[in-house]
Formats: sequence, C-alpha cells, structure tokens
Amino acid sequence: MWELTADGRELEFHLAGINNENFIMRDGQTGSWWQQASGQAILGPLKGTKLKRVPHDEVTFATWKREHPATRVLKRDPTTAGKYAAANWEEEVAAYPVVTPRSPREPLKDRDLVVGVEISGASRAYLLSELTDRGPVNDRLGDSPILLMVFEGGRSVRVFERTVEGQALEFFAATGVDSGRIIDTPTGSTWDLTGLAIAGPLSGRRLARLNPLLDYWFDWKTYHPDTDVYRAGR
Amino acid sequence: MLCLLVGVSLLAVGIPVWLIQPFRHQTPQDLEVSYLLRRWSPVGTSILAGFAVFWVLRLWRGSPGILRRGGLSLALVLALLTAWFAQQNHFEWLFRPPAHPEYAPAEEASFLAGEERVLGIELKGEAAAYPIRQMAYHHLVHDRVGGVPLVVTY
Repeated sequence: MWELTADGRELEFHLAGINNENFIMRDGQTGSWWQQASGQAILGPLKGTKLKRVPHDEVTFATWKREHPATRVLKRDPTTAGKYAAANWEEEVAAYPVVTPRSPREPLKDRDLVVGVEISGASRAYLLSELTDRGPVNDRLGDSPILLMVFEGGRSVRVFERTVEGQALEFFAATGVDSGRIIDTPTGSTWDLTGLAIAGPLSGRRLARLNPLLDYWFDWKTYHPDTDVYRAGR
Repeated sequence: MLCLLVGVSLLAVGIPVWLIQPFRHQTPQDLEVSYLLRRWSPVGTSILAGFAVFWVLRLWRGSPGILRRGGLSLALVLALLTAWFAQQNHFEWLFRPPAHPEYAPAEEASFLAGEERVLGIELKGEAAAYPIRQMAYHHLVHDRVGGVPLVVTY
C-alpha cells in the first residue's frame, strides 16, 4: 500500500515480474523496477528511492464495515471475475513450493503465516495460529511496548503501541476479545478494538497504530533478515 | 547471418521470461540481466526484425527452392513475433490489474461475505476496502483516497 508520488511526480505501476515469489512493479514514467514488499526501487533510474507507505488495515469486511459504515468497496471486475481465487485459496497457496534459501534450523515452517511487526529497526514475527483468539498480547519490541490483537479466528489483525502519555499500559480482554472490548491496567479504562478508549479515566485517548504485515515466514524473513520470532509465554 | 539475428532476438525475450518466472529462485544478477533485457529488447528486437526483413527480401530471389523459401519465411515470422512479444507485458496477461476499477457503497456490496478479509484504508475521512480475494488476482489497483494518489498492492 503505497503513495504514488515519488521523486516529485505521480507514478503509475505495472506488473513486471517475480522476485522470489514477491512481485516486481515497473513504473510507467521512468521504467524503474520496484519491489512490492519493500516499496523500494531496486533497478533503474530511481534505484534506491522508497515509496511512502500508506497505513492500512487487514480485517474482515464485517469489522471494516462496522467501523466505517460509509466505506466504498472495490467491485468484482466482470471481465476477470472467473480468475478470482476460490474461497479456500489460502489452502491452495499453502501448498506452493518455496524457492528462497533456508537454513536447516528455521524456527518456523516456510508457509507458516506470521504477523510481522517492524518498529525503529527491530522486527519480530508472531505465529498467527499461536495468537489467534488468545486475547490481547502485550509485548515489547526494541524499546517499544506493543499490543497485538488477532480476532475473528485469525482473520483480523491489529497492532498498536501501548504507551499513553509516557506510561506503558497492559491490556487484557474484557470478556473474550470478540466482545470487542479490552481493559488496561493500571487505569482500568475500557477500549474498543480500534484502539480508542471509550470509558474510564483515559476515555477519548487513542493508541497509535502500527502497520503489521500478514505474511509467510519465508517471505517475511527475506525482507527482514534480522527478525526474531515471538514465543508465547516468554 | 539471418539465423544469428533471429537467435539473438529469441534470447533477448526468452532469457527474462525464464529468469523471472514464478517458483524459481532469483539472484540479484538474474534481476539485473532481466531488467536490462526487458528495457532494451523492445527497441533491439524491432531493429533486428527490420534487418531480418531486409535479409529475407535480399535472399528471396536467389532461393527458388521451397525448402529455402520456407526457412526464410520461418525466420521472418520468428523475428516479427519476438519483436511483438518484446512490446508485450506477459505478466499482465496472467494477472490483469483493472483498468477502470469500480466501487460500490458498503450496503450494496452483497457480493462480499462478512467473513471475507479486506485491505482497508482510511485517509482524511474517506474509507475504501479492497477484498483480498480480488487483490490476490489483480495484485495492483490504483486509487485516490482522501485525495491521496496511491497504489494498493497484494
């Protein structure tokens, strides 16, 4: 998800190829090649330029619609609707081969789905299945206290910084995370899943959102070679 | 000479097709070579095709046999085909980004079940959702949300 303005002009992108199962885009203005995963130009006149990331959410349509009733939705393109993946496409993709180099002691399987989080140079992969419906996960990445929430059976993922006014809050589920409410300690304020405090002393405050990437382990690791892996109960 | 021309043309378009195909491990060198070939092959193969036409015309009179003329025709067709292919973006034959993406208001989006995952963007008060199942095919959608030009990728 990238802004189109780079190098002082608005670019337009085309598909240009595959680099280790992550696609390459070519801009129509300079012909430079860009990596989709990193938003960086890897070849051509703009090599080294980075696109500005647009923060986005990866959640179920039901959640998105509830929180943004006025949203518009990309329609199915009738000329290519036959090419769209089946509802079980994630299972099919999980069986595809992996081509990047691996060490014999990988902590996760190639196509394990991870929630990748990067903050000021530190990156960590969270095994999606381990976080699913577990309620809020309070962690610390680099120097930053962060909060992860995986709800709706792993189909919605959100990550926040959990520092408010210089104080790191700890969160726990009100009555199961699907109740749509979490509570912090020490203030006992109630928050919704968008990171907004809706009752209690911190009412009206909002947690800063981080942009997690839901990705396969092999791909996350390719673009974050220094990543570590979260282990529950650590 | 004609064979060499056609051979070079075929390699110029064939090598990047082979190098940057899915499910093959790509090294930085593979990408560099592919980039250079994709960049210059449209012009290069057109020039070579021009030479090929010239050579075939020159040799045609002096080659009355059906075999030789057949060979010349084949070389000509190959040269023209590769020049045409070099102008194409074959990746967008497989995954077509929508030329004119259309949007529906949420309440009219009956084609999308509530449990389907979407990529959601909200900028300056405007919200847009891109169903992941559609994005997994298109890969690229250009849009403007809250006045900001952006590209949605998956």
